[in-house]
Amino acid sequence: MGYPDYMYESIKLVEATRPKRAEMAKEGLQKFLKPLSASEREKVLSENHPDYQPDARKPIRVGPNKGENLTSEVVDLLERPSRLPRDFRLEPVDYETDVLVIGGGGAGCQAALWAAKNGARVILSTKLRLGDANSMMSQGGMQASVNPGDSPLIHYLDAIGGGHFDNKPELLKVLTSEAPYIVKFLEELGVIWDRMPDGHYQTQSGGGGSRRRMLSCRDYTGAEIMRVLRDEVRNHPEEITVLEFLPALELIKDEEGKVAGAVLFDMETGHFFVVKAKVVVMATGGFGRIHIRGFPTTNHYGATMDGVVMAYRAGARLLHMDSVQFHPTGAIYPPQIYGFLITEKIRAMGGQPVNAKGELFVFPMEPRDVEASEYIQECKKGLGVRTPDGQYGIWLDSPMIEILNGPGTIERAFPAMLRQYKRFGIDIRVLPMLVYPTLHYQNGGVEIDEHCHTSVPNLLAAGEVSGGVHGRNRLMGNSVLDYNVFGRRAGIEAARIAQETEIKGRLSVSHVWEYEEELKREGVQAKGYSPLLLPEYRNLESLKRHRTEFDPFAPAGL
Amino acid sequence: MAQDLIPIYIYSRKYFVPEGSTIISALEFLGFKLKKGVGCKEGFCGACASLYRLKGDYKLKGGLGCQTVVQPEMQIVQIPFVPAPKAIYHIEELQPDPEIFLRYYPELYRCLSCNTCTKICPQELQVMDFVQAAVRGDFQQVADLSFDCIMCGLCSARCPAEITQFNLALLARRIYGKYLTKKSAFLEQRLKEIESGKYEEGYKELMSMSREELKERYFQREINFQIT
Amino acid sequence: MTRMPYYPGCTLKTKAQNYDLSTRAVFRELGIDLVELPRWNCCGAVFSLVSDDLLRQVAPITNLIRVQELQSTDSIDDPRLVVPCAMCFNVLKRAHLRVKENPEDLKKINDFLYLESQPYRGEVEIVHALELLREIFAQGIKERVKFPLSGLKVSPYYGCNLLRPKEVAIDNPENPTLLEDLVEALGAEVAFNNRRLRCCGSYQTVSEKELVADLAYDIIKGAASAGADLIITACPLCSFNLDWRQKEAQEAHPDHKFIPVIYYTELMALALGLGNDFGGEHFVDPQPLIRRFTKKEKEGI
Repeated sequence: MGYPDYMYESIKLVEATRPKRAEMAKEGLQKFLKPLSASEREKVLSENHPDYQPDARKPIRVGPNKGENLTSEVVDLLERPSRLPRDFRLEPVDYETDVLVIGGGGAGCQAALWAAKNGARVILSTKLRLGDANSMMSQGGMQASVNPGDSPLIHYLDAIGGGHFDNKPELLKVLTSEAPYIVKFLEELGVIWDRMPDGHYQTQSGGGGSRRRMLSCRDYTGAEIMRVLRDEVRNHPEEITVLEFLPALELIKDEEGKVAGAVLFDMETGHFFVVKAKVVVMATGGFGRIHIRGFPTTNHYGATMDGVVMAYRAGARLLHMDSVQFHPTGAIYPPQIYGFLITEKIRAMGGQPVNAKGELFVFPMEPRDVEASEYIQECKKGLGVRTPDGQYGIWLDSPMIEILNGPGTIERAFPAMLRQYKRFGIDIRVLPMLVYPTLHYQNGGVEIDEHCHTSVPNLLAAGEVSGGVHGRNRLMGNSVLDYNVFGRRAGIEAARIAQETEIKGRLSVSHVWEYEEELKREGVQAKGYSPLLLPEYRNLESLKRHRTEFDPFAPAGL
Repeated sequence: MAQDLIPIYIYSRKYFVPEGSTIISALEFLGFKLKKGVGCKEGFCGACASLYRLKGDYKLKGGLGCQTVVQPEMQIVQIPFVPAPKAIYHIEELQPDPEIFLRYYPELYRCLSCNTCTKICPQELQVMDFVQAAVRGDFQQVADLSFDCIMCGLCSARCPAEITQFNLALLARRIYGKYLTKKSAFLEQRLKEIESGKYEEGYKELMSMSREELKERYFQREINFQIT
Repeated sequence: MTRMPYYPGCTLKTKAQNYDLSTRAVFRELGIDLVELPRWNCCGAVFSLVSDDLLRQVAPITNLIRVQELQSTDSIDDPRLVVPCAMCFNVLKRAHLRVKENPEDLKKINDFLYLESQPYRGEVEIVHALELLREIFAQGIKERVKFPLSGLKVSPYYGCNLLRPKEVAIDNPENPTLLEDLVEALGAEVAFNNRRLRCCGSYQTVSEKELVADLAYDIIKGAASAGADLIITACPLCSFNLDWRQKEAQEAHPDHKFIPVIYYTELMALALGLGNDFGGEHFVDPQPLIRRFTKKEKEGI
């Protein structure tokens, strides 16, 4: 446990430069390390960011975004047939409701709560447990312009700049202007924000931000919010029916082409369930578990892009699905925590990115894509530290946090990180962490308008699955804000249109078969099915062992 | 690079898995397709609670499947779910009064102070101490000591008094957060500003700017990390 | 100032904060700094008195380990544990005596508590606050009385936990005099209640209100017939039963006379000039009596 002996050569160099770097930090790092200019950003991104690799993107041959260059792994997953058997019958209907929310994370719970609050009957279905989502895992914070020296307009400007100016303006306006309300709404539900003695919020700076506006709940921000939202959903059993361990496989439409529900699937029993609903809110989260470019991920087990697949098949336009966010600081040692999220707040509070020689080589708080590209570049230059299994990374000098903020800071502000590393014999108050970019966030997704409508009638989307809010690069703390703001709006809007909606005629999944016809016409040779549902981690050897479709317990005479 | 294989027991059957595997990665190595008992794989969600015993040690231990490294001869089982009462309440109707525990989780007062919950907690929290703080009606201490709780359920599974520590702590935290923390005076002001339309002009301007204009405005913006 | 370890117990931190505050204030005035154990848990109360379930002894014994931990620091002068709540006192002392007399039980408990910083060695001395008071009598309480309570007729009520079983009794279980001596030392008059040793009904108050109301009626009748203005107790449960069940007592017995009930430490605080209102929830409000009395004092009547 702990770092192997050979790494201490480099660790000693980090310790040697620490006092000087502390002085620099106290004076303000901007004096010594200028943030990159627009052209400098372009250069480091195009040379290093995984999105810019030659085979990172390819044209998609089917569907609403046909012909556009999207991320290769995304295209592979979209260009697959459905898991639904051709003879699947949509009668009898198993559940009927006003609003079906697909996904039990932060956006799903907000949507369910607000739809119920506005009079709708709600079913919330989720692939794993309620709350098993990326929302549970975010650590550092949520952005909101709650300080006097800040304003929602500055928040807007920071976010649009970080997003490469591709963000949809009306979505960003909603995001930034509703942020302070979300802070209030959450605290009224009982979320415990970090506060100063006078009651005002502790705020930190975030990558790409020009003001301090990151609110937090220690480094369990996502967990704190998710626990409360989940609890609140469960406090309304009459209005919200929660169906766990029932992922959705495909959307259902009515005769007018409006989305009218979904087919759910029990992974244990193999049973299908048909849910008839006037409105569907897609809140299925991200895609980290498709391991784009072979990167490890910070995402939870179920983050397999299911919602994008289902929505695309139903005809929903995607936006910015050529942009992938790699979080600059994913753990790469010890191997058991490979890819784990090290919150950006570590850098906000003084943790410095340092190469093998102990040099601080980049301004710590660039927007994530720029920062990640810098780390990749540094390792390419041969200034990274090698792990025993051949990965390269750079140091994140966490002891600096104790120096700059006083002893006990890490214990107070980063209990999750301290505990994480302590389990493997590393005390991050005394030793730096070894990090490298890790696959983190789906910047784009199913395109929405400011009321969460997709391009398919009666299909709404909110949270990571949606596209347009963050442009081509999300800033830290805007995702937690996103799922709260747009989850809520999706719920309110869903309840509203449910009242006006009548499901017309027979339910069908013909859009799925039409999609498969299109795949055939385009000559797509697909490997496997989608949605993926669960990533494959079973050892290859164990998969190659003699296995069969034979079911020894198949009941006779059925 | 070949890794050494070590023996472990799952449901008392012996298997060989690479040294350094976690419980979850060992199961995946052996060909188990995990559909339950796995969640974030990063130690935040409590989905992968597991019980195990080490060789030569009679003590039953608890840990997270995604974080616990297997030892030779370890006997393991997953606990993907612990049935537990969850009270239904409307928080806006409650008062920060210790009586809410009597109302929603009366078994709390059966606590024997035996520390069994503390011993099994994979987050190494002072579980008994926050249960006792709840007995005393000290919401702040419950919130403080239970903050890192990932609600895996092992405490409740092992408690001889059959208390559901993690749910009553959640109720206490919500009460504390809602009623007993000092609020920000400035937030109200900011909310009023937004409601009154103070920023509408600014938004109109930003939303109508071209990409080039935005770029210029962005790269020239002042970076100021003072609060006021 | 003599610093001594102090165990308040759950009730003194919630419903009986007036008992906690008045106890600390009075003892501080008498030269004793009661140092609350930095970490303590519920003594287990009635549940810990179950003798055939050894696990129940873990709660009180853990607290005695906390006393040992505090004793090993530099913050204590007199090592004895002071307990104001009669029920907590009873439980802690009986648990201590049980393991002291049964070394096998002690070993089993210490084995169970293997994660503690030290085993329980069986040597913590536990005193009820009244026992401590008796020692201080010798140094004279009379001299410290600022407002002699002359004219006030006070009826002490002992309840069960201070005197039973014999092994924990802090005074003669058949004929205790502690509280009566105290009342006289404070300058008040004793209204001797011959029902002062009867059980108040204890936890029956939750499920058998009327039973407890009847018991309270009898006990208070005894005090009333001795001319009592006020009843004093040393136990939060007795205090609750004698105070709050007067409501049901009056409903069942129209001739019931309402008499306020306060803690002996609140009476002492009055006499020592430390304050006459420590809060607390009362059904029969003692403040009118106290105000009348202190007004009398001020006006020199």
